[in-house]
Amino acid sequence: MFNNSLNSKAHRHFRIEVIIIKRYEPQKEDILSAGIDIGTSTTKLVISKFSLMNMAGGMHMPRIEIINKEVLYRSPIYRTPLRTTTTIDMEAVETIVREEYAKAGIEAKDIQTGAVIITGETATKQNAEETIHSLSDHAGEFLVATAGPDLEGIIAAKGSGAYEYSKKTGKVIANIDIGGGTANVAVYKAGKLCGTCTLHIGGRLIEFAGNQIKSVSPPIKKLLQQWGPSSAAKEGDSRHVTVIQKLTDFMAAVIARMLNRELLESDKPLLLGHEPDWQEDIEVIMFSGGISECIYKYETGAAGTAQYDDIGEMLAASLRESKELSLWKWVKPFETVRATVLGAGTQTTEISGATIHVESNELPLRNLPVYQIPFGQVLQDGLKRMPEAITQALEIYDPQREGQNFALYLTEMPYLGFRDIQELAAVILSSIQAKPNHQQPLVIVLESDHAKVLGQTLKVQNPSGSIICIDQIRVEHGDYIDIGHLLQTSVVPVVIKTLTFHH
Amino acid sequence: MNPELIEKITRLIVEKLQAQNPPGGGGAANSVAPSASAVKFWDHTSSSEPKNISRPALNVSDAKVEEGQGRIEFGNYSESNSVRKKESAVKKEEQRTEAIYPASGVENPFDPEELKNLISKTPSRIGVGRAGSRPKTDTWLKFRFDHAAAVDAVYGDVNEELLKRLDLFKVSTKVRDKEVYIRRPDLGRKLSDEAKQMISEKCRKAPTVQIIVSDGLSSSAVEENVEDVYLSLQQSLKSLGLDSGTPFYIEKGRVAVMDDVGEALLPKVVVLLIGERPGLVSAESLSAYLCFEPRKGTIEADRMVISNIHKGGIPPVEAGAYLGTVIQKILKYEASGVSLVQKEG
Ligand code: B12
Repeated sequence: MFNNSLNSKAHRHFRIEVIIIKRYEPQKEDILSAGIDIGTSTTKLVISKFSLMNMAGGMHMPRIEIINKEVLYRSPIYRTPLRTTTTIDMEAVETIVREEYAKAGIEAKDIQTGAVIITGETATKQNAEETIHSLSDHAGEFLVATAGPDLEGIIAAKGSGAYEYSKKTGKVIANIDIGGGTANVAVYKAGKLCGTCTLHIGGRLIEFAGNQIKSVSPPIKKLLQQWGPSSAAKEGDSRHVTVIQKLTDFMAAVIARMLNRELLESDKPLLLGHEPDWQEDIEVIMFSGGISECIYKYETGAAGTAQYDDIGEMLAASLRESKELSLWKWVKPFETVRATVLGAGTQTTEISGATIHVESNELPLRNLPVYQIPFGQVLQDGLKRMPEAITQALEIYDPQREGQNFALYLTEMPYLGFRDIQELAAVILSSIQAKPNHQQPLVIVLESDHAKVLGQTLKVQNPSGSIICIDQIRVEHGDYIDIGHLLQTSVVPVVIKTLTFHH
Repeated sequence: MNPELIEKITRLIVEKLQAQNPPGGGGAANSVAPSASAVKFWDHTSSSEPKNISRPALNVSDAKVEEGQGRIEFGNYSESNSVRKKESAVKKEEQRTEAIYPASGVENPFDPEELKNLISKTPSRIGVGRAGSRPKTDTWLKFRFDHAAAVDAVYGDVNEELLKRLDLFKVSTKVRDKEVYIRRPDLGRKLSDEAKQMISEKCRKAPTVQIIVSDGLSSSAVEENVEDVYLSLQQSLKSLGLDSGTPFYIEKGRVAVMDDVGEALLPKVVVLLIGERPGLVSAESLSAYLCFEPRKGTIEADRMVISNIHKGGIPPVEAGAYLGTVIQKILKYEASGVSLVQKEG
């Protein structure tokens, strides 16, 4: 955490003062986190308070952990405002957020971490990206996750209680989060992620207007086509066609086959992305999301739970009555329709190690892709690969050399002595010369506890460079990370966005 | 019996035991590393599977700190020597890993996954199984082996080569003999008269930071870790613009010997890097004791310590970098230990 170079004496003095103010006092602090979920049918928000504490005691090397998470405020559930079927009504979303912050009694600037997540079909809307960016400007300078379907499933499983359940019982649980557009499945065993899968199964895949079918989503159309002309259901038809019941029953059966990793060729129109990729046999299942609300009715009486004109209720009924699904033990979720927003608000933030090197003026940093360089326990091998690896990272993340920054994630480090650290720093500095923009901060994430010494060494070797070196965060190659402001306890919150799940 | 003989016999027995077990046959026999040094790595920061923490040779001669720059310069670095060292290091590491993550000795565990999980959470000897009401032979031998290593660490001397490399001159306390050192901690807290004179002649007076090194209760701790902590601490002080005095080594010192150093050299802060009393997990753990203006009559409560610095604990290089910040804090509040906590409020 040494911000400037050491050139002049006057500078030196100033620097020390600044550091001291930032660095020491607190053993404890609270930060606020926001979670905003803009789903296919509904939008909601939660505000939570995280309590951070130095768990190592006053005189040890500090170890800051989140010791408590408390949900301070839950918004009502709003209908997701859309301008047309393919665009999100950005202003309306912002109004919701502003009003809800006011009700919660907080201001955007109080929020230090959290995630906005645009889920399901909404994520494919034209202006999804834009919405996220504009929100992150108005909703607080916090951290933002645009979720891919895998991350959605993971976040929902954490918000629903499935992850906790697996951790507590050691069992293999599948959390099936079904909203308006997709069913996102994440499988956990003893707190460890085993795999994910996403299906085009949701309440709003067929919508009604009065007694008529208003819309049928493309994957369903494709499926019905496959079933032949007797199974037609198109816009303008009566909502009471028998094929709809057949369809929701089929969806329940597909979920069961997916859980067993036995999807048939004829199920494939409903598969979004990769096949189920876990190896374990599932022992218990949990449903969350809007459809789960239709099953469990936790929110009855609460605002915004009006009947939707879609197949949600019928799908819920098909799930409840499915023979195949009844073969598993069903565990009730903590949260139904709010699982994702709670996951986004309370489960996406990690805390870095407490001995790190960051330059506050560079933070927060958003959407940095992660390029992993495994050292395979041999320093020289890693060093040899470094220039090549950085060129490759540039090829992947900044092919036009426009200056898209990325984070280097150094893993499988052997034991590092002082000389090794010097050598490592020198090789990193010479390798990043290939980057087009030398003003950019050099961002390094370490698996092992070496961030302070490496950061310090890089700074000594390159006093004018800007360095962010953090550790004890587990990410994966290809993840995106956001690094938040330096907190008073000398840690930074980090949000890791796993867009695809690899084993 | 002499220690070498004990070690030789232990090794023979262990090797025999291992030969009886088919390779890869699991069981606790794997947990004994016949020729491993008794140092084990305990990775406290990650919950992951055993990692190979190998130590490439560090062979720095004549480390020099260039004035004003904050760069630490190295002297000659001998290639061939390093390769040789590395090979043996790798081999050692394999054995060490096994030593600290022994396969469970429990036969037919009720929940093997959970047992593995629990074992991975502590370097303590849990899940080692039993033979009747007693530990298994190899568990017992390993225990004895670790105990012997601890004893060795206490009685050993720090390699002169290392002191030369770090440019540390050597002085002694009022004890000459290890037996006396053990029995008379009070004498280990006093510098000998020659020592006092020597440091007064050789050392710069009234520096902001005075670094001293002492073997204390583990010479292995100093041999294995002091170099990395020391160089990293020097860099950290330079980066922070804090000046440090002439460092030196005190043989057979105790923590409170820093009071005599404080009297003679009048530094603002003393950092004493000293070997900890060895335990059965690691015999080479180093501590950094710090104190603001230690003088005759300084009370223990005004000292502070960062302990557990070793390859399986706080990485030595990271500890060195962190110490700089702690020193900065001591200087800001002009206090250390309990007084510092009080001033901090
Ligand atoms: C032996 C020991 C003791 C003995 C020391 C006996 C003696 N007079 O020699 C006794 C039982 C008295 C003791 C007491 C305490 N200890 Co103690 N002790 C140790 C131990 C196991 C080994 C220390 C060692 O090897 N020293 C090296 C030799 C060469 O030093 P020495 O000159 O012979 O002895 C001095 C030091 O041991 C020192 N000392 C011992 N403990 C502590 C703790 C602190 C905070 C300080 C400043 C100094 C200190 O006091 C001795 C006399 O000057 C370490 C474990 C470890 N991994 O280091 C814990 C350890 C150092 N102790 C610890 C603690 C917390 C304490 C107490 C504060 C406990 C309490 N709540 O009262 C007290 C404070 C004592 C003090 N001096 O201020 C912690 C320090 C944690 C930290 N980083 O802040 C350690 C690391 C144990 C742990 N893992 O929690 N301790």
